[in-house]
Amino acid sequence: MFRFFDKLLKATSFSALLLLSAVGYSQDLDTTQDPSGTRRIAGIDLSRGVLFEVSPHTGMMGSSGLFGIRLSMNYSTLNLEIAGEQVIGKTANLYPISVNLNLNLATRGRIIPYGSVGAGLWLTVPTNTIGDKTVTTLGMNFGIGARYYVTRVFGFRIEGKQYITTVTNDRELKDELLFFQEFSVGVTFIFR
Amino acid sequence: MRLLIAIVFVALLGLAVVSNEASAQARYQSSISLSGGSYAASGYGTNGYIGAAYDFLFGGGKYFVEGGLGFGSLKSEVLEQVSKSQIFDNDRLFTYEFLVGVDVSPVGPLPYFVAGVAGVNQGGQSRFAGVIGLGKRIPIPGFLGSNQIGFRFDVHDQIYSQTINNSSPFVTHNILATLGLNLFF
Repeated sequence: MFRFFDKLLKATSFSALLLLSAVGYSQDLDTTQDPSGTRRIAGIDLSRGVLFEVSPHTGMMGSSGLFGIRLSMNYSTLNLEIAGEQVIGKTANLYPISVNLNLNLATRGRIIPYGSVGAGLWLTVPTNTIGDKTVTTLGMNFGIGARYYVTRVFGFRIEGKQYITTVTNDRELKDELLFFQEFSVGVTFIFR
Repeated sequence: MRLLIAIVFVALLGLAVVSNEASAQARYQSSISLSGGSYAASGYGTNGYIGAAYDFLFGGGKYFVEGGLGFGSLKSEVLEQVSKSQIFDNDRLFTYEFLVGVDVSPVGPLPYFVAGVAGVNQGGQSRFAGVIGLGKRIPIPGFLGSNQIGFRFDVHDQIYSQTINNSSPFVTHNILATLGLNLFF
């Protein structure tokens, strides 16, 4: 019963977040007017030099909620990114820190889809167990996402990723491959 | 406590009606705020709370995203003096919120509504929470010689699944009520 409410709560908050975001999309179109008087969506142009982004985000990894921030540098189709997250689990918090290389599938416009691949460290920190220590493992990730620019300095971002890491099973003395799926939504602030 | 919150809410709503000529929210793109108030943690009682937030406003101030953090306490006289127990390692409370909001009348009397997520750290243990709430930014034209300063108030409900000492999970509602100063830029 409580699990149902827990899932309902998470689903409701994310639905509200997405709904409110979607309402915002249509209300703040950053447009330009050409000499003929036609209004065009300005969007953003990644081919004009280096452009930096700060992107706080939230989402789910498996059944656990997460918060994070991504710092990235765009240069045309390439986007180099450092990401840090906190995944809040029931008995431990997970802190994935990764360096990602994103390939922008468009360089101009309002919507920029991208593919992403990266690697980094995973820090698993127990929260309510006595005696357990922080475990650090190596992990890699890949996924897809898209950024939607509402203005020239602000936009929304959505991303889905597959994370892969290995942990050592001390009882059976062997490494186990673990897979986690992450879905995140957030905003992005753009600087030149 | 609920009566106090209701009185503050009604008073500030009245203030919002009076200040409907102010339009800083529609003219500026960002705002930062410092707030203080109370945090009613379910099962612990009410303690003081201070917080700070950054808002990015768009759509003429009708929409905004907000990132905020705050500090409070889980101190409980009942737990300390009656049951002589402490559930977490310490009494510190730390929360951070990511919200999206809709303000249908930035220069009018109606409050804005927010929804989003929060991290609630209770004595070192983190919880992932959903947040709903309402509030109002009330710019005060000419206050301290500036048109960029105003008041704001907020009431948030942080909702999450709680487990204490291996109990079955139960849904917790923590109510946050704050009043603060707001700077538009």
